[in-house]
Amino acid sequence: MNRPNIRFRQVGRPLTRTDAPGKVTGRTPYAGDYVMPGMLHMGVVRADIASARLVRLDVSKARALAGVACVLTAADLPERTASTDIPGQVGQKRLDTGQQILVRERVRYFGEPLALIAAETRDIADHAMELVEIELEPIPGVYDPLEAMKPGAPVVTAPDNIVAERRIRKGDVEAGFAAADLVVENTFRTPFQEHAFLEPEVGLAWVDENDVVNIRVSTQVIEHFRPIADAIGVPHNKVRIRGALVGGGFGGKEDLTVEVYLALLTKRTGRPVRLEYTREDSFVGHGKRHPFILTYRTGVTKEGKITALDVTMVADSGAYVFLSPYVLLYALVAAPGPYRVDNLNVFARAVATNNMFTSAFRGFGALQACAAYEQQMDEVAQAVGLDRLELRRRNFLKTGEPMSTGFVPPSAIWTDQCAERAWAALGEPAPAEGPRCVGRGIACYQQSYGRLTFLHDTSEAWVGVEMDGTVVVRSGVTDIGAGQVSALGQIAVEVLGVTLDNVVVYNSDSAVTPLAGTTTATRALYMTGNAVKQAAEGVRARLVDRAARAFGVEPDAVDLGDNLAFVVDDPEKSMPLVELVRTCGAEGIHRSELAMFRAPFTDFLDPETGQGQAHPDYAYGAHAVEVAVDVDTGEVEVLKSVAAHDVGQCINPAAVEGQIQGGAQNGQGYALSEEMLYEEGRLITPSFSEYLMPTAMDMPKVECIILESRSGVGPYGAKGIGEPAMTPVAPAIANAVADAIGVRVFEMPITPERVVRALKRRDEAARSGPVA
Amino acid sequence: MYVPFELEMPGDLAGALGALAAGTGAKTMAMAGGTNLIVDMRAKRERPDRVVGLGRVGALRGMECGEEWISIGGGTTVTDLLQSKEIAEAAPSLVESSRLFAGLMVRNTATVAGNIACGSPAADLVPPLLALDADVTLASVAGTRTLPLDEYFLGYKRDVRRPDELITRVSWPRLPQSSDQSFINAFYKLARRKGDAITVTGVAVTLVVAGGVCTKARVALGAVAPVVFRARDAESVLEGRALTPARIDEAARAAAASSCPIDDVRASAAYRLHTVEALTRRLIAQAWRRSTDQ
Repeated sequence: MNRPNIRFRQVGRPLTRTDAPGKVTGRTPYAGDYVMPGMLHMGVVRADIASARLVRLDVSKARALAGVACVLTAADLPERTASTDIPGQVGQKRLDTGQQILVRERVRYFGEPLALIAAETRDIADHAMELVEIELEPIPGVYDPLEAMKPGAPVVTAPDNIVAERRIRKGDVEAGFAAADLVVENTFRTPFQEHAFLEPEVGLAWVDENDVVNIRVSTQVIEHFRPIADAIGVPHNKVRIRGALVGGGFGGKEDLTVEVYLALLTKRTGRPVRLEYTREDSFVGHGKRHPFILTYRTGVTKEGKITALDVTMVADSGAYVFLSPYVLLYALVAAPGPYRVDNLNVFARAVATNNMFTSAFRGFGALQACAAYEQQMDEVAQAVGLDRLELRRRNFLKTGEPMSTGFVPPSAIWTDQCAERAWAALGEPAPAEGPRCVGRGIACYQQSYGRLTFLHDTSEAWVGVEMDGTVVVRSGVTDIGAGQVSALGQIAVEVLGVTLDNVVVYNSDSAVTPLAGTTTATRALYMTGNAVKQAAEGVRARLVDRAARAFGVEPDAVDLGDNLAFVVDDPEKSMPLVELVRTCGAEGIHRSELAMFRAPFTDFLDPETGQGQAHPDYAYGAHAVEVAVDVDTGEVEVLKSVAAHDVGQCINPAAVEGQIQGGAQNGQGYALSEEMLYEEGRLITPSFSEYLMPTAMDMPKVECIILESRSGVGPYGAKGIGEPAMTPVAPAIANAVADAIGVRVFEMPITPERVVRALKRRDEAARSGPVA
Repeated sequence: MYVPFELEMPGDLAGALGALAAGTGAKTMAMAGGTNLIVDMRAKRERPDRVVGLGRVGALRGMECGEEWISIGGGTTVTDLLQSKEIAEAAPSLVESSRLFAGLMVRNTATVAGNIACGSPAADLVPPLLALDADVTLASVAGTRTLPLDEYFLGYKRDVRRPDELITRVSWPRLPQSSDQSFINAFYKLARRKGDAITVTGVAVTLVVAGGVCTKARVALGAVAPVVFRARDAESVLEGRALTPARIDEAARAAAASSCPIDDVRASAAYRLHTVEALTRRLIAQAWRRSTDQ
């Protein structure tokens, strides 16, 4: 299964990314940097009650304000909806995810848009927003998914608020529990999370000479041109998305954000229109990470073998469906984690509430499952009196074994090596002093890369060689800051025997770059990397073939490297690449190739048993931390943070490390400090003074241990690292806190206050004497 | 973004005071670093008609460290405090508080006077200044007056400063440091993260110790009442005595008893009471231990 060692010239080296110089010098324009003569500025008027009936919406004063070009309300729009289906796909039957573009009658969440305003300046637009008269009649809402499932609860999504329901039924769970010596049951809660990208949503739209609506926008998904066209009622070929380098996505720019509003107003006014969200807009303008309530009941023998697992999951889907059914599916499939569990029941529901809608966020449900299963593994270890790592060793899913859905992942499973390496790297423990207790935790994971296989995912790329031997790549892929584009360049030049400074990658234009699919689901490298490799290999084959004829050898005797074509066993026989390319040009040999990479196409999982293939493949790894807990104040300091991931094959190790560093920070905030507080659906922490991500002062040095099994289904055996980097971090921290203070905080974020309450619980339990 | 306002940028103190005194009827606000005011104006919590920017009034900025008194200009920035060796020696609590004050860009522009005048119970420079027995000097075209910082705050975001007055100076007597008496001065900022966070509980403590006795104690508490305040009951438990664990415990409980925190997005009142007691206990115990070690 593992690929033999091969000699790379470009791949696997920490090259300076092609996007780096522009970003470092500030030359790179982001979507918000684009302006046009005569452009209008937009504002979005939002509801300030989460559940209400719109009684009156009077925009006459706003319309009358000098400098206001256009005000749109639902009354001005036809009865169309904006769908939030997984984009870029065709032919699958999906849940109806349609949603009103502007509130027509019923407000379902705090911040739902009521009116759109375009004015000559942003100040005028702001002023006009204040002139809109809104009368909302509150309607009883529901803000807790458990409440929302009860009979008689206010109905957000008919008939019963249950947006999606999924099951796994595998083996014989009753028999498994009967065979167990011990049954451990716990309920874990995970919170909302905000993506908090550096660059809030922003875009500029205009109608061109062909009557095409062009939208320059910060997005992970240029394939949204289709739902945008449907929403504004034009053919698909009349909307063109031109991306830009994205200032952070994390799943928060996976759904439509500002595009439909821009398209509507530029169509209506005939003028360029720009909309830039403030940070406060951004907090209410895109979906959050689903909070989950996860109950794990584990049967285990005295020897530490898991005999049965029963899992119940409830996810808060918020007021609209968005990607909830898919997030739920990821959580379902990930439920047992990287462990062999033959007797498995999972029952997962996503439930509508009047909270902020929830959708994609790095880890996409599988992360929430990991937060629970890895805390549960520590609880099980404690219950059976086994070392935490040893319990895991005895249950790890091994290469070639079937996972939760019965599918056997095609790649190597190196969880064991990753866990050992991460744990060992923690080194000598820090001393506990005074009120500071020190503890350690580890978490392992299984996280898919590549999209759900029943979605029949494809990706296209075009690669060509210019007459001077330089390389051009064209692919619609969006670069959300992780080095997606640079990695594609690195693959193309590896195949074609040139260096990274010889390639230019054109990307992210839905009209002129071949559609690559989305930069989501840790799929960009896997899908588009394979497409670029395929396209480059197509070009290479023709070049090599022509060179072989010139050298009088068989094509497989020829290699490309260092801007030369040469005979491997007789390097004296060589010619400059530029000469070879010119020859091909003169003889009409095709110097470019358009390739489509297709992921495995499967049917949907069996709806009753959840058995079948869900994803192309999975990544495995571990994260270990050491923390100090101040038992007076409950403050948690992360002292050491070590990640060990099998990434299959690094394309660019520096970029891989960047993802791991960022994942460590993202997960640490999720575990400890990031908290979105809602009162009756109203966000009361709408800015960075209340929503606290770890700063440089809060982060320890993150140690990255990168393993390469070369077994993945991506190019050169690569797996993916974007989402996996974050997945195990929070439970590792939770386990370390529990290790430090001897009691667990079952709800994230583990705030100082929750730690203090857990300590009080511990001390009260100790005072009431030993439990028999 | 903003409600329109007039901006004046006087070049000296007299000009600033004149500008504040002028414009009767219009709501006039002074702006130093602007790190609170700009945010409040953007959120439309404040809607001044006129803003008097103090950025060009150089006389307000700077520190004088005399033998008896330390005096800092109201326009001194938090970064200025951090760069002063003399302040570091004379007022460690103020430096610790400055170190943890917001983020670098805010520290570079936020001023001592602005932090006092914003009136926030979570203003981080105030507990250290109260624990240092600081006075504030207010100036207007009508003249100047000096009063203890302890008498400056009247209630939540209410203070004795008239709209035409500026805080021009903050001064405090040097703490004694000699062969027969020494001081310990410390601050603890408890927040939801280490960097750039609003304080949940702030405790500043000063102990002067001579001959094995605590001759002076100051305990100032932030974010646990409508204003930053001195916990006098705790101070009187400590003053004039050698400190024992029981006595320190009593002072900590007195500090908590004099607090009246609220629930907010950062923490509950109960947690603030718990931590104000724990941190007061910790800081006094550490200070006492250090003073007796010396």
